[in-house]
Formats: sequence, structure tokens, C-alpha cells
Amino acid sequence: MRHELLGRSGLWLGAAAAVTLVLPLVSSSFAIDIYIRVLLFAFIGVAWNLMGGYAKQLSLGHAAYFGLGAYTSTILQIRFDISPWIGMLAGGVVAMLASLPIGALCFRLRGPYFAIATIATAQVLMLLFLKFRDFAWGAEGTTIPNLGDAPLMMQFDGKAPYYYIALALLAIGLLITYAIERSWMGYYLVAVGEDEDAAEAIGVDALRMKRNIYLISAFLTALAGTFYVQYIYFIDPNVAFSFNISVEAALVSIVGGIGTLWGPVVGTVLLEPTSALLQSWLGSGRGGVQLTIYSLILIAVILYQPAGLIGVLTDIATRFAPGRQARAKEAPLDG
Amino acid sequence: MAEALAVRNLSRRFGGLRAVQDLSFSVQEGETVALIGPNGAGKTTSFNLITGYYRPDTGSVAAFGRELVGLRPHDICAHGLARTFQVARPFGKMTVLANVMTGALLRDRSLDGARERAAQVIDFVGLSAKQHAPARDLTTIDQRRLELARALATQPRLLLLDEVMAGLNPTEIDQAVALVAKLAQRGLTIVIVEHVMRAIMAVATHIVVLDHGQKIAEGNPQEVVANQDVIRAYLGTGYAHAEPVGDARC
Ligand SMILES: Nc1ncnc2c1ncn2[C@@H]1O[C@H](COP(=O)(O)OP(=O)(O)OP(=O)(O)O)[C@@H](O)[C@H]1O
Ligand SMILES: [Mg+2]
Repeated sequence: MRHELLGRSGLWLGAAAAVTLVLPLVSSSFAIDIYIRVLLFAFIGVAWNLMGGYAKQLSLGHAAYFGLGAYTSTILQIRFDISPWIGMLAGGVVAMLASLPIGALCFRLRGPYFAIATIATAQVLMLLFLKFRDFAWGAEGTTIPNLGDAPLMMQFDGKAPYYYIALALLAIGLLITYAIERSWMGYYLVAVGEDEDAAEAIGVDALRMKRNIYLISAFLTALAGTFYVQYIYFIDPNVAFSFNISVEAALVSIVGGIGTLWGPVVGTVLLEPTSALLQSWLGSGRGGVQLTIYSLILIAVILYQPAGLIGVLTDIATRFAPGRQARAKEAPLDG
Repeated sequence: MAEALAVRNLSRRFGGLRAVQDLSFSVQEGETVALIGPNGAGKTTSFNLITGYYRPDTGSVAAFGRELVGLRPHDICAHGLARTFQVARPFGKMTVLANVMTGALLRDRSLDGARERAAQVIDFVGLSAKQHAPARDLTTIDQRRLELARALATQPRLLLLDEVMAGLNPTEIDQAVALVAKLAQRGLTIVIVEHVMRAIMAVATHIVVLDHGQKIAEGNPQEVVANQDVIRAYLGTGYAHAEPVGDARC
């Protein structure tokens, strides 16, 4: 029974992987653009979910790391002619370093106070970069010089290569999450998320766990920042430190299923095309509408399905397969 | 016998309230010491001071030769002190097994090792039938069992139990007493806070009595229940000559 199940889900996974790989070859440029955004935001969601989902540290300031990643690679590229591939990793390291003092400040606070403090950190960084006129182009921002087809500088002619990069990032994020879930860290993170004091009582260093997962989460988020500005060839503080990034990172995870491997992916697949379509119907500059719809979806999920869409899918699967127990829970929620 | 725990002149105030005042007692390895006293006497506060949740205003706590004041709770647990909370604090969305595994992971980072260790402890507290149930679905009593199992999974040398028997019926109290006795028999050192005098008399080798944050008596169980101060402050008259049964709070 168990083998048959494994075989069947293996088949599904294989089919899904094949479709994912072929998709950009058979899609319009408009569609690929949406796919890229889906993959990118799913990746940012996965990065957020490591900390926000498993350890329940609900950050609303992940734009800080997105922006630091974006600026680090752009400055290195334009000022020092260093490839964004290297800049991407450098941005990740900068984000990790920044997460240490930010974490030291914010982790003293719990619940909503923590969330508010993280919002402030991203806003402060945005203000700083607005001031850095000589070094980082201030409020005007800068376009990133288009070198044509230059894979070594992370620039490509068509959209397909960007799609595959975003896909690779997402795959890396999911693999890291999977590995953490299935190790002692997964248990410790969930324990911290559930009850910090009780976790300490059984030997969990809650502060260290939060700091370490914040490092990983910040690193991954910064990679997304570099990728995004390379993709749109433009950076300014509003793009790089956009509050929307922070909100979407949290939103896709919460809607999809917080603290689950696939939650952020499921959430993004629902939300991102919806918002892209809305934008093309309503025209841009109607950010208010998008935010309203996001808020409504979020309220609905929190009220009616706190486990997220993943929870709905599991319920449906159980209903349509009578006699079979809901799929046994796995690490780190069970043995 | 070596000293497992040495509490020296421990004090802690909350605003104007002296929750614990100049408390000293010591626990020898292998002993089961009961900490008793009326509601608000400072028993839980003492636990919080010993295990690093509160910082004492003055005084010191040493366990197995090491000063604990200033250490964080997880360090103290790693040093071999495990505690339970008066109101159980399970990790609600984890199953019983995952809860206890999380405790076991302190000494063994491999999931297989932790799972094996956890299964033994879960069996010991009698929760095997529910090991895959989410902890939040357990009854209060089973949550207490889980709390005990999770603490034991960290392989402590000293176990601090805060009212694990509150709300149990007589049969359940007997079971709990048997569990504690078995742990003591295995050589575990135990400090137990409990209002159920019958249980105290059955397991304690030594009793420390607190009232208004101060130690008013200590000694072996027979001495303590005969002590006039203890009777006045806590047990009530009529207790000294009666059989040690019942709950002193009733
Ligand atoms: N964090 C705190 N802040 C303020 N006062 C506190 C705090 N913790 C405990 N107290 C007070 O200290 C006193 C001792 O409380 P404690 O919980 O230690 O009593 P206890 O002996 O465990 O009582 P019980 O048998 O009811 O559990 C009480 O008056 C309590 O209200
Ligand atoms: Mg108490």
C-alpha cells in the first residue's frame, strides 16, 4: 500500500516536473512573464516560510533582504564590473550580516510587536538608500546596462533562461526546506514556534534557532532580489524595498499553508496569476485594488481555513479516497 | 551521597511582593524532595528561579557542582535539570511522538535515535496508544503525561515536577505515584511540588515547607506532618494524627 502510494505520487511529481520544464518552450512571452513571477514569489515565500512558517516569527520586513540583495549585486556590477552571479552570493552574505543586528533587535519582541519592528527595519533601509545619491543613485534609481545576450552577466535574450533560473532558485529553496524539515532543526523550529518557553525547558536554544533560521531566510530572499532587478533591468529604493514584497512573502505562505513544504508554492500559484490578470485588466497604478483583494483573501483564509489551501487539498483528497486515512503526517509534526 | 542541588539564600520580589524570601535547601543525589505549601507560597516561583526563567534578586543555585544563576533555561536543561510546567505546555500541532522526540533530540541529534528513545519514554508514561495524536487533542491529564515524557526524554539527572497530579482521580494518582516511585528507584533525583499529601507521603524522602515565600519547616515526612507551624499554615488541624490521605487543599 505504502509503496503503491509512493509510486503514484512519484509519477505525479515526474509529470509535474516534465510540464514545468517544457512550459516556457510552448508559452507566449506574456505567459512566461507570469510564470517567472510565480516561481520568484514562490521562492520568496519559501524563504519567508522557513522563519515565518516553521518558527512562527511573522516577519513583515523581508523586503530588507530582497533590497540588500538587489543593491549589492547592482552596485558590484555597475561600479566594479563584477558579475551578478557573484553579486548574488555577495548580496546573500550582506543580507545574512544585516539579519544579525536586525534579529538582535527584533527577536526580543514577540507576536505583532515583532512584525511591526521588522516593517520598520525595511523602511529604514529604504530611506537610507533614498539618501545614498552618489553611491546608490538615490531616489531616481538606475537602469542596469543591457549587454544583450550575456549569460555570464546574468543577461539573456529571451525570457526562457530567466524562467529556468527562477525555477532553480525555487528548487533550491524547497530542497533546503525539505532537509531542514527532516532533521532535528525542523523539530526545534516548530517547537520554538509553538512555545518558546516550553522549548527552552527541553534544551532548545530558542534565540539561536531564530537567529540561524533568520540567516538562511535572509540569504535566500537576497538571491531573489538580485534575480528580480536583473530581470527587470532597473532598480530604485521603492522597487527594492517595496512593502509589497514583504507582504506577498508572508501572504503566499499563509494562504497556501504556513509551515508546510509546498504551502508557499500553492499560495503563489493562486495569488500571483490573479494579481497579474487583475493588473492587466485594471491597468497598473491601481495598487489599492490589488491590496484590497489580497486583504480579503487573507481574511477569508485566516477565518475559514487557518491551515491554508494545503489543508483544503488534503481534506478533498481524504474525501475522495474513502477508507484511506488522511496521509500520515510527517516530520517535524510527527515522527 | 553527593549534593544534586543546593539552593542558598534565594530571594525574588515582584513589586512589593516577596514571592521567595531567603530560601535555602539542598537535595542529595537519589533523594525525592517535596516542596509543599499553600497557594501562592512561592513553589512555582522557586522552580522558575532554579531553572533560569526568573533571575533571583539575591542568592545562588548550584546543581551538580555548577552555579546556575545567569544561565538560560536551555543551558540548565542541558546540564541535566528537566522541569514540567504547572499548566502543561505541549507543542499543540505536533503529535505526542514529535513532542517527545523534540526532547530526546537534546542528547541525540539523529531522528532515528530520538524516535527510539521517545517511544520508550512514551511507553513508560502510558501514552503509546496516542503517540500519533496531535498534542492539542489530548485531555489535560494526558497532556501532563506528555509533559513528563518530554522532560524525561532529555535524560535529566534531576527532575522538577510542578503539580503533575493536580486534578487526577484516586486511581490516576496511584498510577502517577507508581511512576514517580519507579523513576526514583532508577536513581533519578526528584523535586516535586504537590498538594496531594497522600502522594507526597508515598514518594518523598524529605519535605520542605514554604509559606509566604519563606521556608517554615523541613525534615522527613513524619516530622513535617507533626510540625505545629506546618499544621497551622498549611495542613490544618486534625491532620497530624489522621492517616496521611486526601488533598490538603480540600
Ligand atoms: N511573574 C510574576 N509577577 C508577579 N507576581 C508573581 C509572578 N509569579 C508569581 N507571582 C506571585 O508570587 C507569589 C508566589 O506564586 P507562586 O506561583 O510561586 O505560588 P505557588 O506556591 O506555586 O502557588 P500554587 O500552589 O497556587 O501554584 C504569588 O503571590 C504570585 O501571585
Ligand atoms: Mg505553583
